Amino acid sequence: MASKRDKDGRYPETKILSKNFGVKDSWTLKVAKKNGAYKNLEKALKMAPADIIEEVKTSRVRGRGGAGFPTGVKWGFVPTESDKPKYLVLNADESEPGTFKDRYLMELDPHLVLEGCLICAYACGLSTIYIYVRGEYPKSQERLWGAIEEARKAGILGKSVMGSDFACEAYVHTGAGAYICGEETGMLESLEGKRGHPRIKPPFPAVEGAFGCPTVINNVETLAHVPCIIENGGQWFADMGIQPDPDNPRAMGSSGTKLMGLSGDIKTPGVWEFEFGITLRELIEQYGEGALDGRKVKAVIPGGLSMPVLTADELDVPMGFDALVKVGSGLGTATAIVMDDSRDMVEVCENIAHFFADESCGQCTPCREGCHWMEKIFARIQGGEGTPADLDLLERLFINIEGRTICALADAAVWPLRSIIRKFRHEFLAKMPGHEDAPASTETAGVGAS
Amino acid sequence: MIPPTNSAPPVAVQFPPKELKKECEDILSRYPTRMAACLPILLLAQKHYDNWVSPEVEAGVAEYLGVSDSHIRGLLTFYAMYNAKPAGRHEVWVCRTLTCMLRGAGKLRDTALGCAKAKTTGEVGEDGKFLVKDMECLGLCEVAPAVFVDGEAHVDVTPEKLTELMEACD
Amino acid sequence: MGDAVNTIFINGTEYPFKPGQTVIQVAQENGIDIQHYCYHPGLSIAGNCRICMIEVEGNPQPQISCKLDCAPPPWIKEPLRVQTESEVAKQGREGTMEMLLVNHPLDCPICDQAGECHLQDYSYEVGQGQASTTTAKTKLPKNVPFGSKIVYDAERCIKCTLCVRFCEEITETNELSMQGRGDEEMVVMTSKGEFDTPYSMNIIDICPVGALTSRDFRFKSRLWFMDFANSIDTSSAKGVNIVTGGRNGTFLRIEPRYNASINDWWMADEGRVAYKYVNSPSRLETALVRDADGQFRVANWEDAISAAAEALRSNPGDILLDGGCTLEEMVLAKDLAGAMGKNAKFAAATGEGDGWLVTEEKGANAKGAELLEVARAKRAQAASVLVIEREEHVNASMREKSGAVVVFATDGEHVPESAEVVFPLPSWAEREGTLVNIDGLAQWMERNPAIGPNNLPVFVEILEDLIGELDDDYAWRGADGVRAEIAALPAFAKVALPWQTETPVGAGS
Repeated sequence: MASKRDKDGRYPETKILSKNFGVKDSWTLKVAKKNGAYKNLEKALKMAPADIIEEVKTSRVRGRGGAGFPTGVKWGFVPTESDKPKYLVLNADESEPGTFKDRYLMELDPHLVLEGCLICAYACGLSTIYIYVRGEYPKSQERLWGAIEEARKAGILGKSVMGSDFACEAYVHTGAGAYICGEETGMLESLEGKRGHPRIKPPFPAVEGAFGCPTVINNVETLAHVPCIIENGGQWFADMGIQPDPDNPRAMGSSGTKLMGLSGDIKTPGVWEFEFGITLRELIEQYGEGALDGRKVKAVIPGGLSMPVLTADELDVPMGFDALVKVGSGLGTATAIVMDDSRDMVEVCENIAHFFADESCGQCTPCREGCHWMEKIFARIQGGEGTPADLDLLERLFINIEGRTICALADAAVWPLRSIIRKFRHEFLAKMPGHEDAPASTETAGVGAS
Repeated sequence: MIPPTNSAPPVAVQFPPKELKKECEDILSRYPTRMAACLPILLLAQKHYDNWVSPEVEAGVAEYLGVSDSHIRGLLTFYAMYNAKPAGRHEVWVCRTLTCMLRGAGKLRDTALGCAKAKTTGEVGEDGKFLVKDMECLGLCEVAPAVFVDGEAHVDVTPEKLTELMEACD
Repeated sequence: MGDAVNTIFINGTEYPFKPGQTVIQVAQENGIDIQHYCYHPGLSIAGNCRICMIEVEGNPQPQISCKLDCAPPPWIKEPLRVQTESEVAKQGREGTMEMLLVNHPLDCPICDQAGECHLQDYSYEVGQGQASTTTAKTKLPKNVPFGSKIVYDAERCIKCTLCVRFCEEITETNELSMQGRGDEEMVVMTSKGEFDTPYSMNIIDICPVGALTSRDFRFKSRLWFMDFANSIDTSSAKGVNIVTGGRNGTFLRIEPRYNASINDWWMADEGRVAYKYVNSPSRLETALVRDADGQFRVANWEDAISAAAEALRSNPGDILLDGGCTLEEMVLAKDLAGAMGKNAKFAAATGEGDGWLVTEEKGANAKGAELLEVARAKRAQAASVLVIEREEHVNASMREKSGAVVVFATDGEHVPESAEVVFPLPSWAEREGTLVNIDGLAQWMERNPAIGPNNLPVFVEILEDLIGELDDDYAWRGADGVRAEIAALPAFAKVALPWQTETPVGAGS
């Protein structure tokens, strides 16, 4: 495969989703239409729904919310013979810390998001779209409502979508501040007006989702990819990015482009769109312009808060689903949080543990009790009252929390914390009376998500 | 000593008040169940009734939506954006999650508490003017640290800027 | 789908399962105990306590057995193989147990649940002697009133949500919800003031720990000092299966007992407090015979029986029975009446019913009376013998109007002026016998020896003695003989009698 880098070694941006980000009034129907909005919906409405699903399967587009599940496969799970109404719930909760990519899409190109939703709804036979936007995104809500109103007036939404006999309604549903509602079944509970306690599966949402009816749940960015897949074909999308490994059925590849972001201790934080394949180091150095003056990058969580941390030595890894798993981390939301060499990793852990303790919904015992317990232990270490036995205790808690709960929040808590205490163990020991001179750990590889 | 039984029930407000009637009906029309309207209607109610949901409002909303008031209490204490206690005239959210912490959120929290004359987050300051809340990631990480004052986002906030913002509140 | 897998290997043994069954259900059916808190067979599956972990062979992570379908995924053609006592399974359960105890107050010495606490039992079994946390426990509210009958302790609560699900799924009254999140989660009750569901106290039984305790029972007795007996609720005619609990003569508690054909796991609150009169300070403990001067004096059983026979010979009349009397008692009462050339009748109150476990008919054996052709008494029923246990069945006016000379009463306050001879009547909890519920189901009521005064005579024996006094040809049959006669009656041809069936109807887990 030819290198995508230019002659100066720079990895180029590929603006597909983000092509309208700088355009004046890009969120209005008038401007969006001028830039091609809804012509792919028009094309899709002339296709057979099964062909659209097939096209999405061909594209190998994987969920952009963090889990990376193949979108076409998910759509294929929706039962076609069912008298019940069927729903699309667009996951616009974007509650993962360090993640803000969907906000750009919703604020700057809401019609693209709506078009993606409508194509999905048509392909899967869904009659109502609920866009679950987190309460902390008032502007996204406003822009999406605006787009819905405009689309409804223009006949793009309603009893006859663009003059076809396909009927579809769309509403924005406002969250009220809970990380767990980004988990798809927690989101469904929340949509139904309940506490966002994730559901025990099976049944899966495709069969029994919102209001007990078949439901497709997709991330904003995932569905924003759909119009261009319809325009150019699934194969065009699949040809971009990282190809699957024919020898490893689990390495399904990372096709297409991805919005990637940087935040934290970085000179120019932001969000950019690339074909999969840019390395984390290239992202940080070429687009984030590296650490702040006089500092060095020390640790990076590659996507959101919930993935195992990578050290400065581990950054030459392509941003892709499989490549990051291979080095013991994960792509997550592909919005990296960078920490520089001035950072105290114990403090970082305390902050992370607090987040998960605060956001644990309280349903399952290991997460409810375990996340708070971990937080208390990190606070103890930070307060200079820890002992090496606390690190062993934490390792034991990780075992008893990870994989022992209904949803993945507990796993998400364990992964960054475990990788940090393994990779930066000396920083923890340095805070323990009698262990201040512990040498830096050399063991960094092969640690993380299992 | 355990009370012989629970305290007297609150007197439910007449909900929705006529200013909210149309909007509530509009919200209800979007969902197949009345319960599904809980989250948006509670946000609406909170905004209408001095930025908090009192037991009386809780009972009124519960009656209107045909759910138990304990269900509403469950929601109010689950979602971070609701206030089940009096919330002061202005509400300040300070993001405390990792990116904002790296970019100086700790100082903002101290500044906000100082301006609010409050000992801790989640409690209304002495003069009843501000409620400062610790919030988890507000999704403004590329322009961290972020705060919200009365529902409006402010980014790249410094302690000086926050002081200015809070002093501008009446 | 003829080739669908329909068996599962648990600990190496193959068991059949029915479609839809989960591993814990099949394990329980086959006597394999898997610890569980949030699982209840009568409620939806929440899967939140995470204690019922087992190992599924081939999976390194333990799985919860309450939700695990016995049927493997369709693409697997082999039965599932699970282990309940392997290292993986035990490690999973021990890990969860440690989490459950981190914030638990461990106040067993002052907790009312001690002795029947699943958390206590299981931590005794697998818990570590040494705590691995020195961190402060999370403080939560204690002694929270849940209405006038129940007290809630959020620190002991393990958030299994059984009580919340009970109010959502069984009573559909939704008084309870979870509030807060993370380790501050707890149960909250409606602010409507009273937790007035007539079935509210069932949440105390299903609470696996001491978070919900009964105001009526708490601090009255340690479980291990009490005796229990499988009995039948006699406050209405549904025949709800219960367990009576007593200690040193005092009746302390009634809890429901599982019976799939009547009450499942539940009972109404009013049945639970229907024991109070049994502990009345005016309980009769001796036989009384009226003197020539009109005063009662204590008599021994033999003298009392002679005096009663004498009184009946000079005042023959009908027998008025309490509607809670057993079949055996009713048969003998009929015979006693027959010896006088009269009839036995029963009195039972009617009241409000709820279409479920509280019937309008309050006579626990009214259906049995019908089968035995014992008629319902009129409001003013003349009688020479009165059998009165419950005030509501035969009230003061009925008692006085009966003019009964021989009285069997539980409470001394219930003896009418006309009485010449009085026998103490053991309460239902102190008697054994057969009751037929309103749906025609015959059930056995067991005696609890720890309830009631000592040395009370057996009611059926006194009845037989009296018949013998009045009828010189009487051949004693004993209670077993009476039961054999009942079984031979045509009216009972289609009734499964509990002492005849191999597994007595109503015998539950």
